[in-house]
Amino acid sequence: MPVQVYSLYIFDRHTECIYSKQWFETPAPAPSALPHDQHQQANGNGPAMATAGEQQQQQQPNKPRRNKGADDAKLIFGTVFSLRNMVRKLGGDDDAFISFRTSQYKLHYYETPTNLRFALLTEPGALSMRNVLHQIYINLWVEYVVKNPLSPVEHKGGEGVRNEMFELGLDKFIRGLM
Amino acid sequence: MYYAQVRPQSVLETGCGETSDAHCPAQQLNSSIQLEADISTQNPVEQILGILALIVINKAGGLIYNRTFGDGLNQLNTNDYLVLAGTFHGVHAITTRLNPGHQPQQITAGGIPSRPDPPSGLEVMESENFRLQCFNTLTGTKFLLFTDTLQANVDVAMRKIYDLYADFVTKNPFYQLEMPIRCDTFDRKLNSYIREVNNAR
Amino acid sequence: MSNLQAPRGGAKEQSGLRYPANGKTIYHRPLNRAKTAELSGASFAYLFSEMVSYASKKIESIQDLEKRLNVQGHPIGLKLLDLLLYREPARSQTRPLNIITLLHFIKINVWQHLFGQAADGLEKSSDPSKPDEYMIIDNEPLVNRYISVPRDMSQLNCAAYVAGIIEGVCDGAAFPARVTAHSVGKQEEGEMWPGRTVFLVKFAPEVMERETFLGKG
Repeated sequence: MPVQVYSLYIFDRHTECIYSKQWFETPAPAPSALPHDQHQQANGNGPAMATAGEQQQQQQPNKPRRNKGADDAKLIFGTVFSLRNMVRKLGGDDDAFISFRTSQYKLHYYETPTNLRFALLTEPGALSMRNVLHQIYINLWVEYVVKNPLSPVEHKGGEGVRNEMFELGLDKFIRGLM
Repeated sequence: MYYAQVRPQSVLETGCGETSDAHCPAQQLNSSIQLEADISTQNPVEQILGILALIVINKAGGLIYNRTFGDGLNQLNTNDYLVLAGTFHGVHAITTRLNPGHQPQQITAGGIPSRPDPPSGLEVMESENFRLQCFNTLTGTKFLLFTDTLQANVDVAMRKIYDLYADFVTKNPFYQLEMPIRCDTFDRKLNSYIREVNNAR
Repeated sequence: MSNLQAPRGGAKEQSGLRYPANGKTIYHRPLNRAKTAELSGASFAYLFSEMVSYASKKIESIQDLEKRLNVQGHPIGLKLLDLLLYREPARSQTRPLNIITLLHFIKINVWQHLFGQAADGLEKSSDPSKPDEYMIIDNEPLVNRYISVPRDMSQLNCAAYVAGIIEGVCDGAAFPARVTAHSVGKQEEGEMWPGRTVFLVKFAPEVMERETFLGKG
């Protein structure tokens, strides 16, 4: 079953966001969308305009707007951290926070024994993605980041995470789900 | 247990020396998901049946009601519950603001885009031992219902609890809005309803 | 507004309170004419809730509050007696003349009209020193359905309002009495009728005097 994946965040044990990737652009501001459509119809020049627009949009995720992304990462960390603590308090120390869902999205959470935290945002109807996160950890993170001799032990500012093998493998894996 | 079963597999893969090819692990990942899903559903968790607790939070984030049914959750002291209510209130507000996906804009027949649903905050949260369902009323009162992970029809139970609240709390002349709920009739009706639900399991 | 409401065929319309050919005036009919028609319980609950809140402003004691609720109910009882007797079939259209008939009328007719069912019990005080006390019992008074009385007001029973109505009926029938509402339900878990209420009707001495005199006759 295909699953719409929105984004992935990885936080290290110092609560810093060391990796984030989005597979969907954030919604374009509404006012610009409407005149665009009208323009298309009036010109009769629709296809060319549309492809130009699409290209523009496709390029967007590669250079994410810095502020929004960083803010989101902080908010997501705050959320999962609070929920994780709440779950431990109520369910006992062996309990683990798995996921939460709103009407717009679902956040899947996975925490490794080394306090590395993965947060994956998908469409709200998605089934449990815990195993997916686990696979990302053992087959991508461990393989391409941990075992990479060039990668530092601490990934300050995301250093060593954004290597080609990891990014390629991750993108391929996630696109395989969609 | 979970970890141990998966671990040898990855060792095996690296042993084959396939990791140099970026294609291979990714494909294997996808095929192994099915297998993993089976394991996770069989994961035996001791079940304490049914509905475990109810918490009501007013629109300012204050705790106005909390009650536990059965011993599925750790007992907290009142102060911890107050903190929990405040924390959840904040988390709920944040989850409302995070909106990663793009909303497909629905165009009706007249060509007028319809207004998308307002973003909702956290609705369901799952952990290994329990499940939390949150219902946010139009006036901002939040009902948090803690159940075990297998409880079905939580929506129905939530609806019924909201009914009971509307009847026995808001129609009570001695209840002041946004203040802690101390209504014997509400307690009584709630207890008997929860018992009914939990015994039906 | 009044222009819109004006009758079109003015000449044909009956104006005023003309007595209809079949002898049934609007007072013979319930406001809501359909047989199964019901009033909204929720709106009554909210209204009653506000009445109680209103009555509990600036009170000095629980008795004050009950007194005020009683006073709110009293005129309803007076009018209800007239209305219900008027709707009785012509031959039984008489005012109750002794205590038993009156209490029976309250238990059956008044209760049926107000709450859709007869009261659950009618008893005479078993205490021989109090021959003037009678009890009407309701297992779950409609007015109290959604009310939880706070611990510090535990003697309060908001059915004092219904007690006021009963008092009004008694007064209207020339049986002056004091009626009070008392909670007798046990608050324990699993209790069938936690809201059981007894309406204690204590008739005035002159009523008892008349009753004994009539009894002898």
